Amino acid sequence: MDALAALWDGAFGSSYAFWSATLVRATPLLLLGLSVALAFRAGVLNIGAEGQLAVGAIAASAVALTWAGAPRPLLVPLMAGAGAGAGAVWAGIAAVLRRRFGVLEVISTLMLNFVAAALLSWVVRGPLQEPTHIYPQSPTFAATAHWPFLLPGQRLHLGFAVGLIAALVAWHWLAHRAAGLRVRLVGAGPRASASAGGVDVARTTFGVFLVSGALAGLAGASEVGGVTWALYEGLSPGLGYTAIAVALLARLDPRGVIASAVLFGALDAGAAAMQRDAGVPSVAVQVLVAGIVLAVLAMTQLRTARAAARTGPDEAAA
Amino acid sequence: MSLLNKTLLGLINPIIARRVVLFHSIALLALGCGRPAAESATKSEFRVALLTPGPISDQAWNAAAYRGLERIRDSLGAEISHIQTKTPAEFEENFRQYGAKGYALVIGHGFEFQEAAQRVGPEYPRTVFVTTGGEGTGPNIAALSFAFDEPSYLAGMAAAAVSKSGVLGEIAGTELPPVQASFAAFAAGARSVRPDATVLTAYIGNWDDAGAGKEQALAQIARRADVIFQNADAAGLGVFQAVREHPGTWIVGSNADQNALAPQSALGSVVIDLPHAFLLVARDVKAGTFQPRVVRFDIATDVVRWVPNPATAGVPAAVQARIDSTRARFARHEFTVPAGRP
Repeated sequence: MDALAALWDGAFGSSYAFWSATLVRATPLLLLGLSVALAFRAGVLNIGAEGQLAVGAIAASAVALTWAGAPRPLLVPLMAGAGAGAGAVWAGIAAVLRRRFGVLEVISTLMLNFVAAALLSWVVRGPLQEPTHIYPQSPTFAATAHWPFLLPGQRLHLGFAVGLIAALVAWHWLAHRAAGLRVRLVGAGPRASASAGGVDVARTTFGVFLVSGALAGLAGASEVGGVTWALYEGLSPGLGYTAIAVALLARLDPRGVIASAVLFGALDAGAAAMQRDAGVPSVAVQVLVAGIVLAVLAMTQLRTARAAARTGPDEAAA
Repeated sequence: MSLLNKTLLGLINPIIARRVVLFHSIALLALGCGRPAAESATKSEFRVALLTPGPISDQAWNAAAYRGLERIRDSLGAEISHIQTKTPAEFEENFRQYGAKGYALVIGHGFEFQEAAQRVGPEYPRTVFVTTGGEGTGPNIAALSFAFDEPSYLAGMAAAAVSKSGVLGEIAGTELPPVQASFAAFAAGARSVRPDATVLTAYIGNWDDAGAGKEQALAQIARRADVIFQNADAAGLGVFQAVREHPGTWIVGSNADQNALAPQSALGSVVIDLPHAFLLVARDVKAGTFQPRVVRFDIATDVVRWVPNPATAGVPAAVQARIDSTRARFARHEFTVPAGRP
């Protein structure tokens, strides 16, 4: 019980825990979860968010270190743009491979994750290494490259606001725009949408692939700009894979991604507190967290099954 | 095809590893049930926290640090807390949390914690932040520096003496500066005994994939390496396994005394006595006499040591005498590891 109390306190127990631990951890998961959710909605199985995050972080860091003298209102958007652009290019490689040669994106994006990881470890030992050339990391960014904090005394940064806006835009776009409708159609049935709906399937999936990559790259920029202020090798402990769970738990709904990203952020923050304050071994914490995620999944599944039973299968699917 | 195979292996290996961890943790959970009550009963003013970059079950770098934390608890009556952290963002956040809770001493176990210490330190002046490795200091920030290259040099001398093929292997997790320095010293020590020695170096890419560690070891054995110096923490356990399966091959352990992991094949271990070092620092912090600085531990302090495996006395007497005299010269600061090719 001590352990569970520590879990709760670490995630929601104080304003610091919520704003500076839970939401800071939720920020990359929000952007990455959106990246995965959008792609999956269009039937693009992009599991390369991890690699797209890495190249986004590299590009944003390169910008931050190259133009350190630029004013902050210019440099921060530039970093975000560079991160998103790099992520889109990285995803674009897999998108081109799929469109031109029919390479399954599950394989290509996964492979590109390894390439991106190798690229990151080369960059922090080569072109972006700190000046003493001892440690595998970049120098710390100048203050002009630090993303602004949203609240005084808290570590919550601009990246979270960007993520929130992106989620709402994505939701509106999917639900109320023609392009969003095309994405949903392609995801539901590519052949039918092409023959009956007149949708250019290849073009739609290509576009979604790039947007998905851009969101993941933006997550990388937001991590280095908002949290670490430097580029490191171990930047992401598999955030890109956790994001798949975030997106699936949200049933690929951008609004739901907000909630599930906060849930995973809270679990992560609470798990740390359990180790710190209740002396629970880290492996046991991982087991408990996995158990909670499974329980939440089972509960949401059960609810939709009940709803389906009440209203009939067609309603529930829509 | 082989690339695909490797990926699939890469996907499956962590799953297997996680299974093992899962089993382990259930056992730990059962064992840990009665503990929190006992800890709150012995509440103490002097609180010490440890952040490790990897699991404390690695029987190496992180395990030794946790033993150090336990020794601080047992010897100084400190209340202790430990957390395993992965990313720089987590380093900083946890430093902050411990600082806010008024811990007297917070140890980040690796050079990679020094940035976080620099950022958080000024906000919590009553907490002493110490990083194991690195050289960042401040009014309440110190770094422990270990001359791990000195005993590595001695290990290289011993390795060259017992090697039949003249090919030595080195396997580590990733290319970290202290590891590279230690490997260069091992190679230099080996060449001081056997100038024509060939040294193979491999980096696994992480510190926890025992399967990949074993694969690297088998590859080096296939290239006729008959002594392997491993410094890969949990992944190094795979190197041990490969060596145990190939009699006639020797292994040199790292960080903790790992000789018991392969009683028949261990030549010795290059040891950092972390518990001793931690205790020395914690004692000063508790007494209020700690001077924040780079605290250097070399062979003279006996915190870093070359510990031969008594069960396998394979080093010829003439070389052993040279090892002993080199050790003595290190201790008197008359000799430093020569800079050379790795």
